[in-house]
Amino acid sequence: MNTADVTDRAPFAGQQTQLWCGEVVSLHRSPRAFLPMGTFAELSLVAGYGIEGDRYATASGFYSHKPEEGRQVTFFEVETLEALARDHGVTLRADEHRRNVTTRGVPLNHLVGKRFRLGGAVVEATRLSVPCKHIEEITGQTVFNLLLNRSGLNARILQGAVVRVGDPILPL
Amino acid sequence: MMAITHVTTVVRSRRMETDRIVALELEDPDRWQLPPFTAGAHVDVVLPGGYVRQYSLCSDPVNDRCYRIGVLEVQDGRGGSAAVHRLAVGDNVPVSLPRNHFPLATSAGRHILIAGGIGVTPFLSMVPVLRRMGSRFILHVCTRSETATPFRSALTPLLADHLACLHHDDGDPSRGLDVRRLLAAPKLGDHVYCCGPTPLMDAVAQAASHWPDGTVHFERFGAPPMEVGGSEAAYTVELARSQREVTVKPGQTMAAALIAAGVAIDVSCEAGTCGTCRTRYLAGVPLHRDLVLRPAERAEFLMPCVSGCAGAHLVLDL
Repeated sequence: MNTADVTDRAPFAGQQTQLWCGEVVSLHRSPRAFLPMGTFAELSLVAGYGIEGDRYATASGFYSHKPEEGRQVTFFEVETLEALARDHGVTLRADEHRRNVTTRGVPLNHLVGKRFRLGGAVVEATRLSVPCKHIEEITGQTVFNLLLNRSGLNARILQGAVVRVGDPILPL
Repeated sequence: MMAITHVTTVVRSRRMETDRIVALELEDPDRWQLPPFTAGAHVDVVLPGGYVRQYSLCSDPVNDRCYRIGVLEVQDGRGGSAAVHRLAVGDNVPVSLPRNHFPLATSAGRHILIAGGIGVTPFLSMVPVLRRMGSRFILHVCTRSETATPFRSALTPLLADHLACLHHDDGDPSRGLDVRRLLAAPKLGDHVYCCGPTPLMDAVAQAASHWPDGTVHFERFGAPPMEVGGSEAAYTVELARSQREVTVKPGQTMAAALIAAGVAIDVSCEAGTCGTCRTRYLAGVPLHRDLVLRPAERAEFLMPCVSGCAGAHLVLDL
């Protein structure tokens, strides 16, 4: 193996190197606090605003009294749901974690401050989501501690689009 | 803006079941799904005038778009039932998430349901569930008369199938259901449930006093709900800067007591992990219970959402 081969194969060799590639597994929104999240084939992400018909776009959410620009869209890893079932015997459905986009193959905890694309939309991650006792009140399940440090990601929408289940999620 | 603390519903239909009992169907303004509930659950209903009252849900739990409640207008009551009776179709009604202190015993071999008057409401959410599960049950409904019996349209098919019995006493309890005889000889797997006026519940409690532990169930309203993670004994919190004193009641969190007293503290996770409500204390011994403060920080700070008090008094830098 010569030096050139090693350089070509090095994972951090250039800006264009793609380290991960994920997809949209499911999409959720709810018009008001406390209501069950509905599951949809597509959601309309609006830049600088939020998701059409979602509680945090219309200031109708449980935390809407604490306005936060970086909470226009929220993400959750399907891998966490699978880990809850595998490691703890807890069944939490994708419409129960109360985030908008369930992802597969996206390292959400690594993306704070980074931009990524889902379908035709571009978002910028602002902070990790934190679990809240509200989810136990709503789901009736003891999941709070199990969600510590893997409760998803908040982001602001830089470029809006209609996002659909199956759309790719890619780093920018 | 204020925090949103209740589920928003509107009155979709209103129907008088008897001359004193109104049935209301509550739905989301957009007919979105409502938070789910289980048979026997109730909601706190926030009424005009600031009344908060608990009412059993009497709709089928599989109907996820509707909460139905039935309310008896109490003459010379505290005002809650009268406020319900004044509600009209289209009115907004904030309600709590459903809670269930009166669930069906899943292990029961037979369910004996005893309702007194408006106490039939929780059983109306149980009956469709029991029918779908193919469980053995009998519903006894005790009322003064035929015309004083609410929800007759729901009871009629049960009467036809011999799954319900009506007992009218015309105001003389001695002519009503003989609970002593009904409950004299429990069979293995029998569970009895009662919701109704206090004399009926007392009579059932007495008649079933020899039943095995855990097989006799009552729905009683009025006891304040315990808050998760609250204190076991009351203590006082002194606010040094504002020179106030706030009592934390048994079952209440320090954060809830402070907020109820109008103290502006910011709370988020309510589980001692996010750090939002971190507060400096000046005297007293807190029971920390949080998951985020470092040992050195605990000498100075506590988390009112989960922290308790090892004594009778804490002083906060608020």
